[in-house]
This record gives sequence, structure tokens and C-alpha cells, in this order.
Amino acid sequence: MLICEQVHAGYGNVRVLHGISFAVQAGKVVALIGANGAGKTTAMRAISGLIGPDQGSIMLDRQPIHHLEAARIAHLGLAHVPEGRHVFAPLTVEDNLLLGAYGWLPRLFGFRRKAAQEMDRVMQLFPKLAERRRQLAGTLSGGEQQMLAIGRAIMARPKVMLLDEPSMGLAPVIVQEVFSIIRRLKDQGMTLLLVEQFASHALAVADYAYVLERGRIVVQGYPEELMKNEQVVTAYLG
Amino acid sequence: MNRTMILQMIVSGALMGQVYALIAYGFQLTYATSKSINFGQGELVMLSAFFSLTLINWGIAYPLVVVGGLLFGAVLGLFVERAGVRLALEQKSEGWILLTIILGLFGFSTAENIWGRDDRPFPTPISSDPIHIFGIGITPLEVSVILGVFAVMGLIEGFKRYTLLGKAFAALAADRDAAGLMGISATRTIMLSYALSGFVSAMAGILIAPITTVGPTMASTLILKAFSVAVVAGLDSGFGVVITGLVLGAIESLTSFFLGSGWREAPGLLLLILALAVRPTGLFGKTTIRKV
Amino acid sequence: MIMGKRQLLIHGSELFLFGLLAAIPGFINNPYALGLLTLLAIYGILLIGLDVTVGYLGQVNLAQVAFLGLGAYTAGLSVTLLGMGMVPALLLSLVVGLVCGGLLAFPSLRLEGPQFALGTLSFSALTTTILNEWESLTSGAQGLSIVRPPLFGMHLKAQGFYWLCLGLLALIWFFMKNLLSGQWGRAFEALRDSPIATDAMGVGCFRYKVAAFAFGSSLGSLAGGLYAFNFLYLQPQSFTYDLMVILLLGVVLGGRKSLWGAVIGAMIIVLLPNLLSNRFLFHLFAAVGLTLAVVAAVRGRLHKTTPWFQALAPVIAMGLLLVGGFMIGNTEDWRKAIFALMLFSVVVGLPEGVMGFVGRFFSRLLRMAPRTLPISAPLEVVLPQLSPGNQPILTIDALQRHFGGVKAVDGISLSIRSGQIHGLIGPNGSGKSTVVNVISGLYPPTQGKIYKNGTILPTGSLYRVALNGIARTFQNLQLFGELSALANVMVALRGMYRTPFFFILLGLARSEEQKAASHAMALLELVGLAGKSATPAKDLTYGDQRFLEIARALARRPELLILDEPAAGLSRPDIRQLMHIIRKIHQLGVTIILIEHHMDVVTALCDHVTVLDGGKIIAEGTPQAIKRDPKVMEAYLGEIPAVQQEQAEEGAC
Repeated sequence: MLICEQVHAGYGNVRVLHGISFAVQAGKVVALIGANGAGKTTAMRAISGLIGPDQGSIMLDRQPIHHLEAARIAHLGLAHVPEGRHVFAPLTVEDNLLLGAYGWLPRLFGFRRKAAQEMDRVMQLFPKLAERRRQLAGTLSGGEQQMLAIGRAIMARPKVMLLDEPSMGLAPVIVQEVFSIIRRLKDQGMTLLLVEQFASHALAVADYAYVLERGRIVVQGYPEELMKNEQVVTAYLG
Repeated sequence: MNRTMILQMIVSGALMGQVYALIAYGFQLTYATSKSINFGQGELVMLSAFFSLTLINWGIAYPLVVVGGLLFGAVLGLFVERAGVRLALEQKSEGWILLTIILGLFGFSTAENIWGRDDRPFPTPISSDPIHIFGIGITPLEVSVILGVFAVMGLIEGFKRYTLLGKAFAALAADRDAAGLMGISATRTIMLSYALSGFVSAMAGILIAPITTVGPTMASTLILKAFSVAVVAGLDSGFGVVITGLVLGAIESLTSFFLGSGWREAPGLLLLILALAVRPTGLFGKTTIRKV
Repeated sequence: MIMGKRQLLIHGSELFLFGLLAAIPGFINNPYALGLLTLLAIYGILLIGLDVTVGYLGQVNLAQVAFLGLGAYTAGLSVTLLGMGMVPALLLSLVVGLVCGGLLAFPSLRLEGPQFALGTLSFSALTTTILNEWESLTSGAQGLSIVRPPLFGMHLKAQGFYWLCLGLLALIWFFMKNLLSGQWGRAFEALRDSPIATDAMGVGCFRYKVAAFAFGSSLGSLAGGLYAFNFLYLQPQSFTYDLMVILLLGVVLGGRKSLWGAVIGAMIIVLLPNLLSNRFLFHLFAAVGLTLAVVAAVRGRLHKTTPWFQALAPVIAMGLLLVGGFMIGNTEDWRKAIFALMLFSVVVGLPEGVMGFVGRFFSRLLRMAPRTLPISAPLEVVLPQLSPGNQPILTIDALQRHFGGVKAVDGISLSIRSGQIHGLIGPNGSGKSTVVNVISGLYPPTQGKIYKNGTILPTGSLYRVALNGIARTFQNLQLFGELSALANVMVALRGMYRTPFFFILLGLARSEEQKAASHAMALLELVGLAGKSATPAKDLTYGDQRFLEIARALARRPELLILDEPAAGLSRPDIRQLMHIIRKIHQLGVTIILIEHHMDVVTALCDHVTVLDGGKIIAEGTPQAIKRDPKVMEAYLGEIPAVQQEQAEEGAC
């Protein structure tokens, strides 16, 4: 569903990714793990078009997307839940969710009705968001914002969802909750690319995982194998 | 010197203030999406008024003239975005300030040479005989200004609040990257905001032309007051402009009565400088957090 | 002192310029030409002033025309009403500009971009209104006639007055060159590139922004005084928005941040009306402009360096100028449109102006004779050895910082011991960066207090924290991009610049400058950048930029240095060098707070580590103890797989 080949990317003078290749099959959960600064977020940003990759190709559903801008890629069915959540703080929870479906909803009228089904689904998944429908997103707690960011991505009916550090800055209880949601998404057949610094959390839900170190993929394999791999440990604790 | 006279002045001033508010609203539209405004917006108002006048002289019916004028304004807005704003925004430079000033200068000179330097009357089917309510005279023309302003602002505000495309404006203003991830194209939304801003300015031109007459300099002081209203209200604050416009219009009208008409620009300019000094985000605006 | 080739060329060309300008009236006895030359000198002074805000501060300033008017009326009225002589009248103009400029700078201080432009635009319009309406003083629209006052008893004729203007231009050139080549010029540019870092380096945005604006404005009003004595008749309508646009044209066309650019700009402004009045010259000019635009466009597209719009827009504008030039009746009527087309082409196609373009050419020439590098001072002089005790240098008490509903820092109490390297680690989003941003004054805390050496530390002001002996680097680099590496460090040097202002103008700060350069050089050497001292910071490699941030922070001679993720994005060899640098700084007795997520770096360097998660402290202790702490393992890895526990135990042995 999503294939990256030899992707190089970076910001200004900094080259962060030095040619990474990986693939995500339809309906699978793939994890990208590694220490801070390994280039996980950069990889995500390159895939979703927030930064243009310098080299390499990225295919979404057999269609090259590496030369497109973020908005186009979103229309093609890629939803990216960014690191740090990035909800639209001055907008209500409901509007945030509606904007998640911007790609396929009618832009002027009748979008509420069309989005009702998705909206219900999200509200079922996150009852807390239903309670806070009309509240401004900026006033939500960190955990609720993370739920909203994921809910917003679900609204897009994506072919692939990228989840960047869904546990960042959250209390352990909330982290558990977030991961149980991810597991539910997986059960519903969502294709997921998950970036996570909590390796064991990520490995617990993933079907397959890649370990990133300093912009290169150093190990890959099934979670059971990786749990035992010493290289994974060194990648984290140095 | 009696109370009715003062009230009369306050009312007429406040009515005029709504035109400033309308143009200021146009600034807010582009500022929300791109943090930029068109410094040549006054020329846009003037050019649209001239264009509408030409349509009238061709014998086209007034409602059609309005539609034509508004479309013309929207097209000019798009032109300003393409020629003056986009490149500078891509390069993250302040060059757009200079470029929009330059485009305004070009528009001014063109108008001067095509339509002449003299002020011309703008015929309209709406009467300018005052109707008296509690001794205060209001002309149907002035009423049409208010109705026009509220109609346009209501329309666009409705668009922003009740359509998804409109919500995209707010999303882009709040978080550019996240908006992109939702599939909201920044370039297109900025274009749309400039078109709407041009549309709004054209409306201001058409509404005010019958009162002030049409000439190349018709908007040169108007625009300063619109700047004041926008800054005092806050460049991102929606309906704050209406109240600010009311107040500024009234103050201005009183100033020109008590100090002489030459001083009428002064309060707006002073207010702008004071507002920037005391509260750069405007009376109704929100403060933001610096990021590193 | 032996003058280098470079100096010789610069001084020589300056002498030539002024010699030529002074000698012209001797050759040509033409009152019209003399009038143009006088105006050239006056506008030269004005544009040098305008360039301070437009070029150095990088703000679109629309107030200079108001200062021209204010200065002109001040001079005119002090002669007609108070019977002053020329010198006191001009001085008064200067002072009025200085004071009004300073006052106007206050509201404009916090402003950037459009707000600054709007504020200055309003000031201009307000000034015109006052000049027009205060009829009892200015005689309003009727205009004010002036008789040129004597200069020290002499009555100047046109030629004498020209020499006076030219002399003043030369004097101001000399002053500004001295001023702008030193700390003031650096501070102005620093302000433009990163106000945050300027404050954090203890330079103080406030003072320099007000000063820059006041200087620029005072030159505008001095030019106004000369303007009054040149034309001897003033009208408020002379000082309008149109003139302002033309003045901006002068600065932009001439080239920013350059005294030469200002004079060339003045030349363009003065000659333009004459260009327009001669049809043949005008067509020729348009044709040359079009050719240049086409050549630039083709080159730019071939090398793919310019986007389509940037390449084509000047061609279209110049083409319009050429074609339109044949179609219009009277060029004078279309004056503004013609200016607009020219300005448009330059702003889009040649953003660095004529001088920028020529300057690049010359700098290639000058590279043959490179500027001699300053010799570095001994490090112990630059950074005297501190002798820290083991008492707490910084104590944080129940610190909280919330953003909306998010509690980024949620009640942290912490004490940093003097002389230690104190590591602050934690997963992404754990609040490390927010903690240092609150300590360094970028964000005010929501709650809680910070003490340094027992006294309370000011919060919410980078500048005031910087003055308390705390320096920091930034995770997202905040270098002064256009300044050289050396200048980046020189800006931040603490306690270095003591020469009184007037002496700086006279060029008497040279020895201090040399000392500053040698100190800065020593710091660059410390971080291994001595060989790249002349490179603009934005052109350094990423690793070098990180090191430069450290050198710049050290220029503050801090007791406490905060390093915010200094290893982020560095390659392995760079990280080794970074660790080496940090050790050296530590040996000098500087206390360091190190935020880092490379565990190896933290383990190798830190005496003490605090681990944050979710805005709270979850563990504290030596790096070894931390590595074994199950809570830390959990924060980093989620939960502890068996293998890692073994690993951790091995590490303990």
C-alpha cells in the first residue's frame, strides 16, 4: 500500500534521512522505532509531503507521491497524525473532525449530513470527544487532543494512516488508552504506519517493524525477533 | 449648537465608519490565511468604482453593474495575490509589503490616465433625500451603505462559519502544516481569500462612490482609516471591525466639526499608533505565544 | 598601520567619489546641474538614514518622508520665527528628528512587518495633516517662504550651499561607516535576523531598535533642514506618500545595507525626472532594462535557480515599459506607473539592488586580497577560570507552565549545583525544552519561582535573564544568519564595548574592535571554527552552526550555560567534537545544563541527571543510577523487556 525506496530528506543544511526503504502492506500495522533524533518524524513528514524528499521514491497505492504537496497527498488517501498532535486550537472539536474529512466532503453545503456516519464512528471510539463536541480544541488536555488528532485522521477515510508519536507527553494511563485505540483500528482493518519511541508499546501492536538509527534502517523484522535483538537496545540506550 | 446636530453628526459618521469596517474586514480575510494584507487596497476600491462607473455609462442596469464591479474587484484581488504576494510569501520575506504598494501605485497611475484626474459623480437609482427620524436625517443612500456592508459581511461570515471551505480559512490560520495534512491547499485558500478581499473592497467602492464621487484619490484617505479600524480591532478578530468602525466614524465626524475638516484624518491615525503601542494584537485580538 | 589592498581600494574609491562630486561645479557652470547635485547630496543623507531601518533592521519604514518634512519645517520656522543661523537651525532639525524618531520607535518596538509599515505610514499621514492644518504656525497649504540664513556670518550662494551639503554627506558617511562597522551595526543586523537570540545574548532589542530608528529619522530631518534651505519654499504637499515610495525606490534600487547604495539610489531618484523628460533616453533605458531582464531570466532558468515567476515577471514589466513607452502620449503623466514598473522589476528580479549586484562582482575581485584575520587572544583572558563551590547555583521551585489545556511543565523542583554538568533528559514532549525556555525567560512560568545564587531570577524576559550570567543555545538554531561567524560571537561579547558613542562615530573604537575580534577569535578556536570566521553563519554546515551557537553563548562569559539539544542532527565525528568542547567548557568552571537525548553523550558527560516525563520529574541521580532505574527504562521503552534488564545489570558491573 505504501512503499518507500531510498528516501533521502532533511531540512536546510541538515540531511536527516540517508536512503531509507520500507513497505507497508494493506491492512497491516508497521512500526518505525528508534531513539530521538533518529529521523522517524522526518520520514513521516517526507511521506506526507510536508517536506520534499531530496531523492528516492514514495508510492501510495501504486501511485508516486514524492513530488506532490501535502494537500494533494492527503486527497489521495493518506492521513498523517502529526507529532505534537497539531489540532486546530481555536476551532471546536466538531469542526476539527469535519476538517479531517475535507478531502472527500462537499465544501459548501450538506457536509454535516454526509459526515454523520464517520462522525458517529469517531464519537463511539472516543466518547470523551462526544462530550466536548462544542469545546475549543485548545482547551482539551493533552490526551484528549491526541484522541482528537486520531479521530480527525479517521474522518479522512484514509487508505493509510501515519501515527507519529501518539504517546508523546502523555501520562502512562492515557498512553495505554491510546494504544488500545490503535489496536481497535488495527482490528477494523486500517493500514497503519506507527512511529513510536516507546518501543515495546509499538512492537506489541505491530505486524512488522523497522529500527531507525541516525537516518538509516539498521534492523528490521517481526516484533518477536526484535524484542530480543541487542541492536534495538543499543539504538535506544546508546 | 444643539444636541440634534451632534447626534446627526455621530450617526452620519458612524454610517461612514461602516465602509471603513468593510475594507478592514477585507484585510482580515487575507491576514487570516497568509499574514499579509494588500497595501494597495485603496487603489483596488478606486479601480472597482471606476470600472462600475464605466459600466453605468454604457447603460447597463444598476444591479448588473454591482455584480460586474464586484467580480472586477475579485479579479484584481487575484492579480495582487499572484503578482505581489505569492513569491514573497514563498520566500518568507516581507517583500510583499513593497510589492503591494508598487502594484497600488501602478493602478493609481493607470486610473489617472484612463479615467482622468477629476472627481466624477456616480449616478445611482437610490435617492439621497433624507428621511427624518427623531430629527436626525438619514438618506436612503446611507441606508443602502449599511445594508450593503452588512449583507456582504454577513454573507462572507456565514461562508466562513457554515461551510467547510470557510472553516478551512480558520484551519489555515491556526496551523498551516496541519491544514495541509487535512488536504487544505494553502495556495488555493490564500487565492480565495484575496479574491474575497477584492470582492469586499469593490463593494466598499460601489457603496461609497455615490456619496464621495469617483476619482483617483477617492480612496487614499479612506484606506488609512480602514487600516486604523483593522489594527485597532485586531487583524484577526471578525466583527470587532463593526464596532470600531462605528466609533471611529463618529469620532471623526465630531473632530471635523469641532476642529475643522482638515483634521478629520487625525483621530484614526492617532488611534492606530496608540493601538499598536498598547496592544499590537488589537482590542479584540488574541495574544500569541512566541516560538523558537 | 599598513593598509591592505582591500582598504586601499575602499578608501580610494570613496575619496574619488567625493573628490569628483566636489570638483564638478568647477568644470560645469550650470545652475540646473548644480541644483541636481545639491539634491543628490541631500537625498544621499536621507537615504543613508532610511537604510538603517530598511536595510539593517529589515523593516519597511514609511515614515522617512515625514521626518524630511518635520526637519524642513523645523529649520524653516526656526529661521523665520526665531531668526536662527544655519548651524543652530540644522542642529535643531536633527534633534527634532532624533526625539520624534525615538518616540515613534516606542510604539513600533514590538512590531514586525505589516504592523511596522502601518504604524510608520500613519505617522507620515498624521505629520502631513498637522503641517497642513496648523496654519498659524506653518501657514498651511499656502506654503512657507524662507530666506537662507547665514553660515557663521557668511551668506552662501548656490555653489557654497552645495559644498556644505556635500561636506555634510561626507561627514555622515564617515560617521555611519564607523558606527555601522562596529557593535552597533552588528546589533542592528542581529536584531533583524533573530530578535529572540539578540535578547538572549544580552544585547537588548529595545535599546538598539529605538536607537536605530532615532538615528535613521534624525538623518531624515537633517536632510529636511537642508531641503528647506535649498528650495527656500515649503509646502506640506511636498512630503506625501508618493515621495515616500520614490525614496523607497532609491534604497531598494541602490542596494540595502550600503552607503554606496544610498548615494547611488539618491543619484537615481534625482536623475529619473530628467530621464522621463527625454523620450529617446527613456526608450533606451526601457530597452536596456528589458535586455537585462531577459538575460537574467534565461540564465536563471537555465541554471534552474530562479522560479518561473521571478524570471518572467521582470521581463513582462520591462516589456510593458518598452511597448507602453511608445503608446503613451506624455511620459510625465505616467510617471508613477513607470516608477512602479521599475520598482517591481527590481524588487522581484534583483532583490539585493544595484550595489548588491556590483558588490558581488567586486567581492570576487577583492577575494584576491582577503581581509587579514584577527589574532586570537589567550583563552584564559577571554574566559577567566571560575572557581565554583558545590553550592546550588540555580534552584527551581514548583515550576509549572501550561499551554491551554496542556500541562507541559507540571510542578518541577530542581536544584543545579555549581560546577556540574547537569543533564536534563526525557522522552519527546516530556517538558525539557519548556523548562529551559522558562528558565531563560522566553516563557513566563504559569506558577513557581526560580532562584539564582539565592536571589530570585527575573522571569519572562530573555534579556534580563541574560544579564544575570545565564547563556543558552537554541535547539532550533537562532544564529544571526547574514553576519559572519566572527561577528556572531562579537555581538554577544559581554563587557567589551565601552567606547562612548561620540568616539565611536569618530572612529576611535578601532582598538576596542580589534580586542573584541581577538576575543571572539579565541572562542571560535575553542569550538574549532577559527578557519571559518569570515563565513556568514547561514552558509556554515549544520554541525558548525551548532558549534557557533555554543561559541556565541560563551561570549557572554556565563556562570551557567544551557545547551538545548546540542547534538541533535550531528554526525558521529561531530558529536565527538561536541563532547570535547563541552568538557573544555566544564574545566573552565562553567556550570552546564545539558538537554540531550543521546544517552551516550549524557552518560559520558553528566555529573548528575534529572529525568522528566509528562512534565514531572520521574528520576534523579548519577547517569549510572539513572540507566538502571526501571521508571526511566519504562519512560523510554514503554516497559522493560527481560533482555534489557540483563543489559542494564551488566552495565552496572
